[in-house]
Amino acid sequence: MDVEVDDKDLKAAGAEVLTDDRHGLRIHGWEIVSCNGSILNSSSLITWEEKLKTSHLPEMVFGESCLVLKHATSGTKIHFNAFDALTGWKQEALPPVEVPAAAQWKFRSKPFQQVILDYDYTFTTPYCGSETMEFDTEKRNSEEFLEASCSPCWEDCEEQIDVVALASKEPILFYDEVVLYEDELADNGVSLLTVKVRVMPSCWFLLLRFWLRVDGVLMRLRDTRMHCAFSDSANPTVLRESCWREATFEALAAKGYPTDSASYSDPSIISQRLPIIMHKTQKLKVHCNL
Amino acid sequence: MSDLDRQIEQLKRCEPLKESEVKALCLKAMEILVEESNVQRVDAPVTICGDIHGQFYDMKELFKVGGDCPKTNYMFLGDFVDRGFYSVETFLLLLALKVRYPDRITLIRGNHESRQITQVYGFYDECLRKYGSVSVWRYCTDIFDYLSLSALIENKVFSVHGGLSPAISTLDQIRTIDRKQEVPHDGAMCDLLWSDPEDIVDGWGLSPRGAGFLFGDSVVTSFNHSNNIDYICRAHQLVMEGYKWMFKNQIVTVWSAPNYCYRCGNVAAILELDENLNKQFRVFDAAPQESRGAPAKKPAPDYFL
Repeated sequence: MDVEVDDKDLKAAGAEVLTDDRHGLRIHGWEIVSCNGSILNSSSLITWEEKLKTSHLPEMVFGESCLVLKHATSGTKIHFNAFDALTGWKQEALPPVEVPAAAQWKFRSKPFQQVILDYDYTFTTPYCGSETMEFDTEKRNSEEFLEASCSPCWEDCEEQIDVVALASKEPILFYDEVVLYEDELADNGVSLLTVKVRVMPSCWFLLLRFWLRVDGVLMRLRDTRMHCAFSDSANPTVLRESCWREATFEALAAKGYPTDSASYSDPSIISQRLPIIMHKTQKLKVHCNL
Repeated sequence: MSDLDRQIEQLKRCEPLKESEVKALCLKAMEILVEESNVQRVDAPVTICGDIHGQFYDMKELFKVGGDCPKTNYMFLGDFVDRGFYSVETFLLLLALKVRYPDRITLIRGNHESRQITQVYGFYDECLRKYGSVSVWRYCTDIFDYLSLSALIENKVFSVHGGLSPAISTLDQIRTIDRKQEVPHDGAMCDLLWSDPEDIVDGWGLSPRGAGFLFGDSVVTSFNHSNNIDYICRAHQLVMEGYKWMFKNQIVTVWSAPNYCYRCGNVAAILELDENLNKQFRVFDAAPQESRGAPAKKPAPDYFL
């Protein structure tokens, strides 16, 4: 984040910018850290392929990049990383999507001994973040037991993220965008998983977004939003809203929308055109087997 | 100083030409390119470069590492445009060098040198933004149709943007293609610009997209053997280390866009061949932030919802 944040705003909010090499801040018991690294090199890529039992990974895997939000007293850690997201891709294993040229290709004379690859090259993932229990090392001995026996989980709830409150222009104390992985689908569109975070004096808010456009075929938007209003209670309230949208170019054409790919470069502008296929709101709970 | 030399100096400062100058430059380039073969013969020594993608300041780093044209004889394997911020300046500088020193620089067509692809991935919008009209995009995409499809260095190194095609087993078959057209969606010309080598197939593979060939070890072995070449040099795919050999050194990928899309953190490479075809890869980093003009690397904080 190469952004000027007013020291006065930080002080007034009781926030403290991290002074070690890490990029982030502490506020109301939360430690929020982001890191943006390079794409995996060839040897790491091979290791990941072995671990994930796949021969194909996105062209750009930002394997060291992450966003971590840790609440010290409750031990709750919410984090985002490419590995867990790709584990989700591997498990969901959607069938491949054919590009428009595929129709023509069916009539091409086939070379002798042709192998047809059939993995989900769109890297579509149901990933909506990772969560664990983690306590600071000095406290570890006494808390080890809690760490082993407690686990955070998400429970459906009726509450909604307060979008009106989020629209108010509180000063942003910390902001970052982390790309987890990206693939250009060999110039047939885009597959992009990113997470954006902003921290204000009253809350933090983040958006994890999987964005897929297969040119001429379909678009898929899988958004996960998380919100936490700061309070002094030992257990913070974190809300999570997942919203999946999807539309084919054919369906968009039928509604009179444009169907050229260039009109669909920014998902935040066109998301309303894509019908919602899944929506749910959940609250983070910590379960302990004591 | 001739107009052309002045234009080259201007482009080296990353300042685009006037629309009328682009038109004239493209006309001159067309006269040169139309004479070139689909398998352009190239003499060694030569320095081979992969994808640039409009990363102008990083291409200047490339010239620092490889030496200036015409002192160094260059071959670029296509994908000059799209994705980066300076496709216009990048392509025009290469084209101006081609017109000024036709025998010291070879430009091969990549899959991004196409009307359809540039409308989606940046070059079209950039032309519209910088010139207020699409004329420059038209002149450039018309020139794309004249770019050669491949090159043969000293009869020993075959160079192409993407890779091989099941419709092609000999170089003569490439020579018979009528290349002066938009890149088709299938067929030999499409494959040369689009296909990829793939470890997990031995012969031919079809991409899960249902279009796009993948070729394995045995395909390359037999192509190299029947055309009596040492190896294939291609670009088209991002490699973190700048270059990558496959299939027992029968094919190499060269990638020349460091810190691709201004965020990947990869290094780039060029391949120098001396007069005896001895190879030397030169690896380089992206231009330092202070030597490139804005735009800033990261978007400003926004009140996203």
